[in-house]
Amino acid sequence: MRISMMMVTFGIVFGAMGCSPSSDLASKDATKPNAKYALVSEPASAMAVGEARKTAKTDEAITLVGLIGGSSAPFVDGMAAFTIVDAEVPYCAADEACPTPWDYCCQTDAVKDNIATVQIVDESGKPVLSDARKLLNVKELSTVTVQGTVKRDKQGNLTVLATKLFVSERKK
Amino acid sequence: MFLPWDYGVRNLARRPVRTVLTFLALFIVVLLILVVVGFIRGLEHSLVVSGDPEVALIYSVSSEENIESSSISSNTPALITASLGTTRKRYGIVHASPELVLGTRVQVGEQSSGLGLVRGVTKTVPLVRRSVHIVAGEWPNAGEVLIGRLVAPKLGVSESSLSIGQSIEFEGRSWRISGHFVAQGSAFESEIWCNLDDFQTATKRQDISLVALRLAANASVAELQLFCKQRTDLELRAMGETAYYESLQKHYGPVRMLAWFVVVLVSSSGVFAGMNMMYGAVAGRVREIATLQAIGYRRRAILLSLVQEGLMLASAASVFACTVGLWLVNGVAIRFTMGAFALNVDGTAILIASGVGVLIGSFGAIPPATKALRADVAMSLKAI
Repeated sequence: MRISMMMVTFGIVFGAMGCSPSSDLASKDATKPNAKYALVSEPASAMAVGEARKTAKTDEAITLVGLIGGSSAPFVDGMAAFTIVDAEVPYCAADEACPTPWDYCCQTDAVKDNIATVQIVDESGKPVLSDARKLLNVKELSTVTVQGTVKRDKQGNLTVLATKLFVSERKK
Repeated sequence: MFLPWDYGVRNLARRPVRTVLTFLALFIVVLLILVVVGFIRGLEHSLVVSGDPEVALIYSVSSEENIESSSISSNTPALITASLGTTRKRYGIVHASPELVLGTRVQVGEQSSGLGLVRGVTKTVPLVRRSVHIVAGEWPNAGEVLIGRLVAPKLGVSESSLSIGQSIEFEGRSWRISGHFVAQGSAFESEIWCNLDDFQTATKRQDISLVALRLAANASVAELQLFCKQRTDLELRAMGETAYYESLQKHYGPVRMLAWFVVVLVSSSGVFAGMNMMYGAVAGRVREIATLQAIGYRRRAILLSLVQEGLMLASAASVFACTVGLWLVNGVAIRFTMGAFALNVDGTAILIASGVGVLIGSFGAIPPATKALRADVAMSLKAI
């Protein structure tokens, strides 16, 4: 009886240990963007936001990289769209205890020339009406590389109608 | 065998002073809880009804949730309505309300002055702020203002000093009161409204604080948000009005937590006071309880009778406190930060206060009664 109890206990313990790698795998999958919009690998030679604001022209294809942020609420609610800021623009360090470092509150002037809007669109070019945080598993200050088409206006604002996206791992 | 129902009822009348004192203690506890819960419900109600799900607010991105500190160009409404088809339009009138909001010192006659919230509006405002209704007087002309229902308590002045035809002063000008408005208990009721042009002249400003838009049938706030994100040069932010007031509720979270803590404290003190009263009540009835046991009543029956007494007293106190609360407390205006709101003794407040009262009455009687019932019957019969 005692032996059988021990066997059951070992079985449960090792069973649980055996399950843990697959649960890790599941959680890793959960952090990936929706496969429809995800790039398999990080594209090389992505353009920084600041440079793109100077050179990019309407209807050009572009690969743009930046950090999600630029205001306290960089995401559009109910639509897969957000603003990204050039990675060269510094944001509040963790030890400054800023509750919203992604708003770049100390760099508002620098942000003006280093910000772009990313709007995820489907194959037909229609905006995707789903929250980007859920659809793409991104959050504020995520580093994203997007592929899409440039849209400029007379005021010099830059919008990328993106069809694909890659989320980079945060450097620690 | 249970004790007759009348026995408990008659017992309350046998000791009128003790009964009245216990009743008063329970009444005060229930009334206090009613006031505190009414405060919380009033604050919540004020913010909830202020948001219209069909209305979106556009204001400065740098002002965060503080609209009073927002400053945007006065051509923003025209720009947005020309760029997007998200705004409702009927008979050629666009449902967009440009507004200038400012917290400023308001002088009421010779009496006193206080900080008031003034909103400069245009004649399109009723198309967007649909909860607002003029209940007396008329729409303000140049140099005139409309006064919200809660402005008097907000400024700490008498209602008569803000009657139609009286004058108030702010931003270095005298303004005649042309009418009064209500807004279904929303935050607007603590505001003073005047014509936008007049207010801009008085404050020497050309900007506005926000644009409130009533969304077209198939439009969403997301489209406005996207426009604001794309036009980063305008530094605008769009938010649904409901979401805006929900975000304000988060700011008031600590106040609500504190208020609930007060409810718990008052309830706890009420429980202890109630138990103390019941200990006193039961202690004076040791012989009676022992006699009931001696003639054959079971402990359970006697305990139930004692709980019945406490419950009846607590129920009566709760009903009385709720009646007084509805009569005297409900609707009383409370000054709060830049505005005012009315205490709201609603169903939830009555349920919580009465529930606590009934719990005090029923559970408060159990410990002293149990103690008395455990005593030796022979000894208790000889007790003085």
